[in-house]
Amino acid sequence: MTTTVASRPVSPPAGRTPQPRRRNWAPYLLILGAAVVLLLGMGYPVVWQIVTSFQKYGALQQLGGKAPDFVWFDNYIAIVHNGTFWAVTVRSVVFCVVTAAITVVVGVLMALLMTKVPAVVRFVLQIALLLAWAMPVIAAMTVWIWLFDRRRGVVNYLLNLIPGVDVGQFNWIGTTPELFFTVAGIIIVWMSVPFVAFSAYAGLTQVSGEVLEASQLDGAGAWQRFRYVMFPVLKPVIAIVLLLNLIWDLRVFAQITLLQDAGPKSTDYDLLGTYIYKTGVAGFDYGAGAAMSIFVLAITIALSWFYVRSLIKEETS
Amino acid sequence: MIRNRKRGIALSAVAGASVLAVVLAGCAGGDTSPDAGPAGFDPEGAKGQDITFWVMGGDTPEEARQYLIDQYEEATGGTLTIQQQDWTDALTKLTNQLPDAKNTPDVTEIGNTWSPTFTTAGAFSDLSPIYEDLGGDKLLNSFVEVGEVDGKQYALPYYFGSRYVTYRKDIWSAAGLEVPQTLEEFNSAVASLRTDAQSGFYIGGQDWRNGVSWVFANGGELAEKDGDTWVSTLSDPQTITGLEQFQALFQDASNAPSTEDDSTPWVNINNDKDGAAPSAATIIAPGWAHWSIGDYVGDDDKGNEKREWNDEVFGVFPLPGTTAGEPAPVFAGGSNIAISAKSTKQAGAKELLRIIFSDEYQKLLAKNGLGPANTDFVGELGDDQFAKALVDSALNSKLTPAAPGWAAVEGQKILEEFFGKIAEGGDVKALAEEYDAKIDAIING
Repeated sequence: MTTTVASRPVSPPAGRTPQPRRRNWAPYLLILGAAVVLLLGMGYPVVWQIVTSFQKYGALQQLGGKAPDFVWFDNYIAIVHNGTFWAVTVRSVVFCVVTAAITVVVGVLMALLMTKVPAVVRFVLQIALLLAWAMPVIAAMTVWIWLFDRRRGVVNYLLNLIPGVDVGQFNWIGTTPELFFTVAGIIIVWMSVPFVAFSAYAGLTQVSGEVLEASQLDGAGAWQRFRYVMFPVLKPVIAIVLLLNLIWDLRVFAQITLLQDAGPKSTDYDLLGTYIYKTGVAGFDYGAGAAMSIFVLAITIALSWFYVRSLIKEETS
Repeated sequence: MIRNRKRGIALSAVAGASVLAVVLAGCAGGDTSPDAGPAGFDPEGAKGQDITFWVMGGDTPEEARQYLIDQYEEATGGTLTIQQQDWTDALTKLTNQLPDAKNTPDVTEIGNTWSPTFTTAGAFSDLSPIYEDLGGDKLLNSFVEVGEVDGKQYALPYYFGSRYVTYRKDIWSAAGLEVPQTLEEFNSAVASLRTDAQSGFYIGGQDWRNGVSWVFANGGELAEKDGDTWVSTLSDPQTITGLEQFQALFQDASNAPSTEDDSTPWVNINNDKDGAAPSAATIIAPGWAHWSIGDYVGDDDKGNEKREWNDEVFGVFPLPGTTAGEPAPVFAGGSNIAISAKSTKQAGAKELLRIIFSDEYQKLLAKNGLGPANTDFVGELGDDQFAKALVDSALNSKLTPAAPGWAAVEGQKILEEFFGKIAEGGDVKALAEEYDAKIDAIING
């Protein structure tokens, strides 16, 4: 948008030299760096992916045994007819909506908690959240897998300590897909809550104390204070963190793969990320993998588009 | 037939003064024959070439790695860099880096079952001009075959391993059971040993690499070549028989989860640190697992449990076949080795192969419990019970189909899923048909 406006030839008022236009090159130069990096870093893979999604591209093609043939929409047609892919897609969407929603609710509650507790407790809480956020995925997953391990896991150990409860060596990740995704959901919520909590806390600091006090004097309860005073301030923050979490949770990969390494390998335990990896990379069907990725990209863009539009609306109103 | 021939070789295997040894010894001094063109060895061209060798996992012992580095430097003056890759992501790394001349390893170890995919795609150099010099017919036949395309060798055996049964002598004899002579006896013995706290035979539901032995033992196959195309044969009657036996075995004898594969079976057969009873009376595991089985004798300095084998408590035997005295065909573990077609240092890479297939290195492998590629040196594995069980089971072992798309079948974990569903009690015939279709779609690459 900016580009079209700026590059439109502006007819300068008569009698004035077009000198100021020269200075306009500076922004272009500044943008150039970012644009080149984006084009190389993001554009090239995306273009490659689009091209590959129209090709029959398997192990032979990757290893140089044969040039890839253009098959146009064959890969996409195959996806449409692939029941497993749709099952995985539905599962992924449900999973990402549920985990993102829980993450945002828990995160906002954490932020509210931070506004209520004494400074020392808040400090400890913030450090704990920061550590959870900063923890590398692999390290965190190693610990989580151990917690849920059926033989030496802490979860089973603690449950067995409760009088009258005997879960024995209950297999948390390998019994049913539902249980597997519950465990995965807990882990992902744990990993994403700190970001939401910090963002929401930052938003809450913008809520004026006077207004809160005034509403309290007017007889507003805790829920009403949150709903009518804090929430309107938090709304844009919640919107963006919800969107980001939806996108992250839709393309979640590492957590699911690592949990699968510890047990179930079946496609019943796959989400889009792991399913695409399984077919596209590990299964050598790069063409199909690329086509599926384009599909996920489309979902992501659709999601973001929805958000960007509402953002623009809000700004213009 | 093959089995008998190999057994003959194994029994007569006395290391040493074979013609091959002489040839190789002669080569080691420097082959200066004028006709050593680029197709064969090229010791001149190899001078000063620095090459990279990928090994998979930690199977190649430190001693052997150092030997290769030293010998390579002596032979060429160049530096050999050995990089260890993780089995789990090796397949992806190989597919990404082999086609790239700048990043490809010059020589790489490769999972034996992946060989067909890479060789048919032209990822490796033709080794047929040096095949005879490296051992020819003496190299483990089944491994050579998976690396062949149109009679030319592109990948050769590196080492082989095998799986055999380890059992608790104390538990078996307390139940009045003897070492079984047939697979049927084995199945019913382990089923009788199962209690809620103890697997008679511990096998995970997804563990197709071990479970496939029941298919092979009943004369079944995973896939067969029909003319030019490979066809998945899970629905064949003999395969079905094997799969039904596996299903019964899993349900009657194993307490393992149906979603487990062959990760660390030995933890189940050991008493725990405090002496508590084991959770399994019998396991099947690769040969080197015996280092992790035995009585607890404290921790090493990294905090890992140390175990000492105890003959009173533990014993080994090859999984018996359908007829007495004949071991069941197990899935042959092990690796192949190949030169990247994109490597710019073919001469150096070939020199490394010459060192790897030398008598000394083959002996070194065998001494460390790895089945040597050159069957002349199988005797070097030793004559203890482990070596015996390893050799007996290995000589009757089988490989997965040499189909171009086999690596994709493994990569997509189709067999893990299939065996897992059978273990869960699914309808064997219906599942077999469903997964035949899935495998047929990709097995031809």
